[in-house]
Amino acid sequence: MMKGTRKGNLITGRYMITLTCITIAGCFLPLVLSSYMLRVMNIALISYMCVLSVYVLLGMCGQNSFAQAGFWGVGAYITANCLLKLNLGPIVSMIIAIAGTALFAFVLGFAFFRLKQYYFTFATIGLMTIFNGLFMNWKEVTGGALGISGIPPFAIFSFEFSNETSKFFLIIFCAFVVTFLMKILFNSSLGRQFMAIRDNELAAGCMGINPLLTKSKAFAIGGALCGLGGALYAYLSGYLSFQVFTYNQSTMYLIMIMLGGTINPIGALIGTMIISLLQEFVRPLQNYMQLIYGVGIMLLMIVQPEGILGGIKALYGKYNERKTLRRSEA
Amino acid sequence: MNLQLLFSGFSTGIIYSLIAMGMVLIFRSVGIMNFAQGEFLMFGGYFCYMFNRLLDLPIGLSLILASICMGFVGVVFMRTSYWPLRHAESKAIIVSAMGASIALKEGARLIWGAVPVTVDRASEGVVNIGTAVIMKQNIAIIVIAFMVMVLIYLLLEKTFIGNIMQATAQDQYMASLTGIPVIVSIGMTFAISAMITGIGGGLLAPLFFLNNTMGTTAGAKAFAAIVIGGFGSVPGAIVGGIIVGLVEAFGGAYISSTYQLVLIYVVLFIVLMLRPQGLFGEKIQEKA
Repeated sequence: MMKGTRKGNLITGRYMITLTCITIAGCFLPLVLSSYMLRVMNIALISYMCVLSVYVLLGMCGQNSFAQAGFWGVGAYITANCLLKLNLGPIVSMIIAIAGTALFAFVLGFAFFRLKQYYFTFATIGLMTIFNGLFMNWKEVTGGALGISGIPPFAIFSFEFSNETSKFFLIIFCAFVVTFLMKILFNSSLGRQFMAIRDNELAAGCMGINPLLTKSKAFAIGGALCGLGGALYAYLSGYLSFQVFTYNQSTMYLIMIMLGGTINPIGALIGTMIISLLQEFVRPLQNYMQLIYGVGIMLLMIVQPEGILGGIKALYGKYNERKTLRRSEA
Repeated sequence: MNLQLLFSGFSTGIIYSLIAMGMVLIFRSVGIMNFAQGEFLMFGGYFCYMFNRLLDLPIGLSLILASICMGFVGVVFMRTSYWPLRHAESKAIIVSAMGASIALKEGARLIWGAVPVTVDRASEGVVNIGTAVIMKQNIAIIVIAFMVMVLIYLLLEKTFIGNIMQATAQDQYMASLTGIPVIVSIGMTFAISAMITGIGGGLLAPLFFLNNTMGTTAGAKAFAAIVIGGFGSVPGAIVGGIIVGLVEAFGGAYISSTYQLVLIYVVLFIVLMLRPQGLFGEKIQEKA
């Protein structure tokens, strides 16, 4: 516990070094990957942002939500509407998407967090179904079953992020910033409030944390992350269809984070990358893929409920224990 | 009052009641919410389709055989996705149930195909009451579901097996001290829960087509029913299911057919605002 609460230097800390290394390594990907694989990478990184929202909710705050793909859709549709109907600039649209989704999630949080644990989780399944219904039927805003097409790419002043490589750099930059912000959140008082609620809500309440407000804040942060992911997705694909923002996608986010491990954002990254790339490399097995996921996730929960990162951490802990044991013997 | 809508709403509602009852039975027994309960409905419907359409058995027999098959599915589900995790965090159990739900969904697609199918009606034709035209299937659903509920009540309250299951639900450790095989008792609870939900699937199939994704929506509605009725209460689940069915039918006819689910959740939130413990629930203090 001591180690976790120690205040290290954020910029020169181990986390930051790991993060920078991964990002720099990632920046070389366009040199080796085909345009198609780059698109896969882009979508994986957008998924990573949504998975981070699950990380905030589940990993930090202990709340299991299945509505994240819905918020992702809300972000995407807000961006598309701001761009096409209100003729706002790309940056402004993106900011509105993030803020709008966060606000929306915050307000919904107040209603949904009146329900606790299982009840909340089930309610978010309902919310997700409602979202999908809205995306499919609300013609004025979401284009109904036809979707919205012709969304222009992201642009800063006159520079357009129109080809796959530039989009990749935009997305990886956003992913970097977001992951960095996660660390700040983790170390902040708000992050500790989240974790207090995760560990024991009643005790957290006794210490003067307002559970409803704090959980709604977590929901809002999750919403903001999904909103960012949605905005980037709108810029990336240029076309939005209700078929993307489904309940299955939400389940996928949960599988990704449980596979990687809920203890830190790197776990989310590992899980997202494994699942996204797996989908590409086992195309021949496409028909059985979902079944394999289903059975795989059950096995994973039985064998290693903490995910890959949790497994590595346990191994590392054992190794350290043995080392100290040997030292004390000597 | 539209009698036709009343009957169709009531009959779909009573099927939600069956799902909700299955969930409540499991919840009372082991304290977890089963996220794959909706998939039991879908699977039961498909079993019924298999016996009725592929093997050409009469619908009554198909329903019975389907529910027996569902009993086995319930036991397998319990043994694979609950029992190994009984000491784990609730998060792990939820995710494992999600995995099971995906596996069941895809299993159904691989076994029976993705094309929506249907089964025979338990009772053909219509009944005219005044101006209203009521499908006999709706009446059959209500009668059969009611019979199932009475049977479950008798089983739980009046028989030895029921006592064993209730004892296990109250205190697993104590039950094991008195010589009750806990795993058998829990397995039986899961089997019964899957059976009643499966029958619901077979009854629902002629009204709506069966497809492999119907379970999620049905599960979400049944959940709404449980919360409206009061958590952990079997009568609450039944009444809640009927309320959800009626809201769906009348709301769909008079307000908006595209936003039926939204309406259900609006009702859910109104109930939660006015009576947070649900209609039949008792106020439970949170334990430290």
